[in-house]
Amino acid sequence: MKQHNGGYFRKILHIDMTTGSSRTEAVDDEFIESFIGGRGFAIKLLWDNLAKNNGRVDPLGPENMLVVAAGPLTGVYLPSSGKNSFASISPATGLFGDSSMGGGFGVELRQAGYDAVTIVGKAPELSYVFIDDNLVSIVPCPELKGKGNLETEGRIRDNLGDHDVKVASIGIAGENLVRFACVTSDWSRNAGRTGIGAVMGSKNIKAIAVRGQQDLPVANVDKVIEISEQAYKELGAHNMMGHWQKQGLMGVVDYANMMGILPTYNFRDTHWEKSKNINGKTMLASHKIGNTACFGCPMCCGNINLVKEGKWAGTVTEGPEYETAAMLGSNLGVDNFASILRGNHLCDELGIDTISTGNLIAVVIEGYEKDLLTLDDLDGKPVTWGDDDRIMELIEQIAKCESIGATLALGAKGVLERWPQLKDIVLHVKGLEQSAYDCRGASSMALAYGTSDIGAHHTRAWTVGKELEMGADWGIEEKVDLVIYHQHIRSLFDMFGVCRLPWIELGFHEDFYAELYSEVVGRQYSLDDLLVKSQNLYNMTRAINVKLGASKSDDYPPARTFIPIHSGPLAGKVCDKDEYEKMLALYYEKRGWDEQGNPQIACD
Amino acid sequence: MRRKIAVVPEKCSGCRICEIACAIHRQKINNPKKARIRVTTIYPHPVVRMPVVCNQCKDAKCLSACPTDVIYRQNGVVKIHEDGCIGCHACVDACPFGAMYVHTDIDVPLKCDLCADSGQPQCVKMCPTGAILFMPEHVFGQAHRLNNVLSYTHMKEIEYIEHGEPKRLHYADNNAAEGRDRTGGEE
Repeated sequence: MKQHNGGYFRKILHIDMTTGSSRTEAVDDEFIESFIGGRGFAIKLLWDNLAKNNGRVDPLGPENMLVVAAGPLTGVYLPSSGKNSFASISPATGLFGDSSMGGGFGVELRQAGYDAVTIVGKAPELSYVFIDDNLVSIVPCPELKGKGNLETEGRIRDNLGDHDVKVASIGIAGENLVRFACVTSDWSRNAGRTGIGAVMGSKNIKAIAVRGQQDLPVANVDKVIEISEQAYKELGAHNMMGHWQKQGLMGVVDYANMMGILPTYNFRDTHWEKSKNINGKTMLASHKIGNTACFGCPMCCGNINLVKEGKWAGTVTEGPEYETAAMLGSNLGVDNFASILRGNHLCDELGIDTISTGNLIAVVIEGYEKDLLTLDDLDGKPVTWGDDDRIMELIEQIAKCESIGATLALGAKGVLERWPQLKDIVLHVKGLEQSAYDCRGASSMALAYGTSDIGAHHTRAWTVGKELEMGADWGIEEKVDLVIYHQHIRSLFDMFGVCRLPWIELGFHEDFYAELYSEVVGRQYSLDDLLVKSQNLYNMTRAINVKLGASKSDDYPPARTFIPIHSGPLAGKVCDKDEYEKMLALYYEKRGWDEQGNPQIACD
Repeated sequence: MRRKIAVVPEKCSGCRICEIACAIHRQKINNPKKARIRVTTIYPHPVVRMPVVCNQCKDAKCLSACPTDVIYRQNGVVKIHEDGCIGCHACVDACPFGAMYVHTDIDVPLKCDLCADSGQPQCVKMCPTGAILFMPEHVFGQAHRLNNVLSYTHMKEIEYIEHGEPKRLHYADNNAAEGRDRTGGEE
């Protein structure tokens, strides 16, 4: 008898684009028990594919595997259950990469009856994959070459004659293998990081369309209704709920500026006197026209904005949220909210990650300002802070791999290969550009960036707020423990296929998820039981990365982390190098890894 | 007094909690595709998110289109006798709002019956943004009426200080109705 009565279809779909064939594989209890779902399934599948290829995978080669996996809680009647993972070996880092997407794509994929989908190979021509319950077809679509994400999504729906089909597509950037190309669904929900869009592009996949009708298996429906409705009620009564529905993550701009962690001028400053021009209030006063939410989420953090006047008039975009407002705003010295909306729209349509884009354009501006780059390097066209026309041009050049954009499209690693003189001003870890939180005032955040498996991304362990608010007298042990706890609990959200925001932002208790998972699968688990699985998963990811060449030297935050902040509320703050070394050593020790960061799990 | 469901598309975020709440309560099944209310989304020109659900029409086109006469009205709620339904979907085609739904597992079309006329539709209860309301019939049209009335008024604005705080007040100056004489006489 199987151990779980709900939560799983117990089926994985394998697609080979080279041959155009597909098959399903049944999954057993052990696989489910060890890896839970979502990112967990993805990592195990990538691990197996790596072994099959003798430990060597070219991220843009046909042998690389793309895994799309929602979790056992995706689409279930509970708050914010609309997430799924896109994972692969990242063309940005050469290591494990994944990105989580909101919206409704994951729900649809599960309703088609699959716990995960793997794709290898390369189609002979640009095509889209159509997963229609148990029918899988590969549809050539040369007519969509170069088309933006919005148009692609609409045209595929028209083609299939069904407005409700879910489509995850790439823009021209993915086709051009830009190392930070994203996958976009539900018009503007992105799996933004680690360049999964380029992996799709390398396989000649323009989009994955999916339609599913099946019931999501839930073991104890009545219990799920009871727990979830209590949860919805608690969230609805939270005193910050109104603020969330109005501003979403845009409220973080003021918070980050007040705390002194708002990236400004390529992370040189962490506080900006013009931040009021790019905050949530400015958005509400002049641009917001609607809310949007992922599946099952009462927080509706998505902001739909319209530029009503000026040179970008007519621009509609879903977004920005905090990361985009900071990376395309303060980090580039752009204080015109309409320009941020324009940049957001271009990135979504062309299919590039706003974090990496804002990060690398800032490098160009600072590099030119400091004479590390010449006018020739910039194709004879200078660029300065806040120069929104030139910044929009650069965004397009990146996606189209034209002029200087062709170098920026290679990501932090490619930029440094061509211009090694920029090494002190490119903020990245393992080749992934840093997210929009400065970490000099909170060394746990520096450790979080340094040890993150995918590179300098904030969602693996967002400890900066907690340390700044409560950690003035923390020793290194508390910091290391917090980072490890976050890396485990947050992995769990990605394994379940749910959003972390009700937990981190509205104080929703993590035990709730263990309880719900137990009722959905029909077997009792405590949060601690599940965290052990999360820890095992982190070890496995580390083993994948070590196998692919990662070492201790890749576990350090960007160089700028060790240079003091010179202004704002955290003026004078810096991450101390000795403290970092001690934290890193303790981190390895607590994880049971050796002094060089090698895990005790066979890497063969 | 009859009540029915009203939707306010401007408030809808597209989260589909209404769909899943409907399916899980009515059928004990976690499947938004088996809901009797669905959110239709249009983007980006224009941006619209709108729950579409039965209006319980007085002259119900679904009812008159049914070839086997199994759609009937009870206390103002339009319902389907499942036994006699032949699954031809003529009612689905006939609904001018597209508010009846079909799922491959179920022969009888899915149609809102106000949660079996229980007085508390689950979609209304669970909507987190107040986009789905359950209102007495006579309230329908009030919002349009108010907007229409307001469009005739001559709004003015004054700024003043109250307890040291700057405030604004909008008011209709009925004395200064420029160019519009409501008495029928000459000004």
